[in-house]
Amino acid sequence: MLFSRCVAAFLGVVLMVANSHAKEHSGKEYIQKNGYQGPKTCVVCHPGVAKEFLETVHWKHASKVDHVDHLDAGKEYGMKNRIYTMCNGNDIVNNLKEVPPNAAGKTKFTGCNTCHPGDHVSDVGSRGPEAEQAIDCLICHSAKYDFSKRKAVKGKDGKVVMTQDRSVTAALNIGQPKTKNCMVCHESAGGGALIKRGFSMTREADVHAAKGMVCVDCHTVKKHRFPTGRDPNNWAHDGMYMTCVGECHSNKPHKDADYNRHTNVIACQTCHIPRTGGAFAKNFTKWERQSSGFYEPSTLKREVNETVPVYAWYNLTVSNTPHFIGPKGSRSDGKSKIYPFKVFQGKAYFNKLDGQLLSMDFAPPMATGDTLAGVTSAAKTLGIKAYDPVPGWQTIYFGSNHQVAPKNKALTCANCHAINGVLNFKELGYSAKEVEKLTTPDLYFDKLLKIQQENE
Amino acid sequence: MKRFFSVVIMLAVLTVSSLTLVASASAEDVKMVGTISEIKIADDGKSATAILKDTKSGESVTIVVTDDLTLDKFKDKRIVEGDEIRCKFEKQDGKNSSKIFKKTAGC
Repeated sequence: MLFSRCVAAFLGVVLMVANSHAKEHSGKEYIQKNGYQGPKTCVVCHPGVAKEFLETVHWKHASKVDHVDHLDAGKEYGMKNRIYTMCNGNDIVNNLKEVPPNAAGKTKFTGCNTCHPGDHVSDVGSRGPEAEQAIDCLICHSAKYDFSKRKAVKGKDGKVVMTQDRSVTAALNIGQPKTKNCMVCHESAGGGALIKRGFSMTREADVHAAKGMVCVDCHTVKKHRFPTGRDPNNWAHDGMYMTCVGECHSNKPHKDADYNRHTNVIACQTCHIPRTGGAFAKNFTKWERQSSGFYEPSTLKREVNETVPVYAWYNLTVSNTPHFIGPKGSRSDGKSKIYPFKVFQGKAYFNKLDGQLLSMDFAPPMATGDTLAGVTSAAKTLGIKAYDPVPGWQTIYFGSNHQVAPKNKALTCANCHAINGVLNFKELGYSAKEVEKLTTPDLYFDKLLKIQQENE
Repeated sequence: MKRFFSVVIMLAVLTVSSLTLVASASAEDVKMVGTISEIKIADDGKSATAILKDTKSGESVTIVVTDDLTLDKFKDKRIVEGDEIRCKFEKQDGKNSSKIFKKTAGC
């Protein structure tokens, strides 16, 4: 302990000197001299950090949730145990494992917890010294992580282990996570690149990325806890939320007072994220054979920037029924704003006996296409004895919270205040008389004419 | 004489316009899914070629990749040989320039 403190103090001095010369993570000499031994090395300078990380959503894939209907306040929910139709499985039923051989005799490893930053032996929500040492710190913190070194392998004891890049090269290139560190996992969710939420964080697609900003510039981490937005389908949280309003943007962010008047009822995203993409429908009852001989759920998808959102009032609480997960709110509740959402519809099996959505273990259908075998396996894992699977659809509203368009592509007056505008005022709760007032060019004619004249 | 020159000039303009149209019409967007059999990154790191084996036809197609994001994925091995790719490329002048290059696999 004393030794650790001395090393920490020494490295602290090294850090100050190093910072005065270059913006480089300290401890380089220590790592060069002693090698990198995973979290054991990190905690020399960052005592307690491994233990701290085990309490976060990134490790637990769950948290207590108090803004969603029909949940048990005493339980934790998240990717660990949720069942919905974008994934239809979770870390429990789709725990990382080897898929049975397909018709060609091939197998592969798959599982929802493939992205869990442990080694799988210490898995989602595990605790204790072994779990602390299993954390893959570098997958998030290294700019030179060799991703080919992170793969599932079966040990002699039959356990599946997720290997890591713990090389000195990776360890010498540590710092705050770059966008790519986040996107390694966050862009491949839902069955492929940019499928689940369908946003791209490239310079071409997002104004913040174009300015050189990275994910953690907005998701400002405190003790490895990440503030998140309020996507109705993103339940687990680290107890911190974020909005656009803060250090960078005020609640009167526009030069134009007319636009600023909207901020009480219109979320920033509504005008500034006019498009997303990704999957918009998926059928877990029908898997398609791939060239590899394995099967995947059939999915309808679009490229980023091809999906037009739907707009709804949202008071940041969530309706959760077997056939619908989406925003609650209304024009009159005094808490809601109009937000944009990507609507996704997924088909899966529901239990005819209680109406609840059933989960699916992907291993059987991935090998043979037999979806009911997947339901049987999942029911066995979850201890569900009485069930009668019938296909049905579930609608999910995903929040459109990323891929902020350049200013010239944001929605303006005429995009909404028009008879064929993007907002359906009637469905949003406005009377016929109000709709008439809200869709007349009188609201913006002179302003837009002036802008048009200036640009001509 | 003047009329003759006018006709010649008009014909010349028409020929050039037609050739331009033919050239732009020859640029064609192609979509394919294929497995990477080889990735070669240029010495300057600013481009790469990837050979994809088309899952439908079995043909090998060489794709030129120049976007920073995909190049970075090649460099840190987020995309490696053996990965299945969904690709959209522009076919022009015998060169297949990548416009979309994404792994099909996800969790």
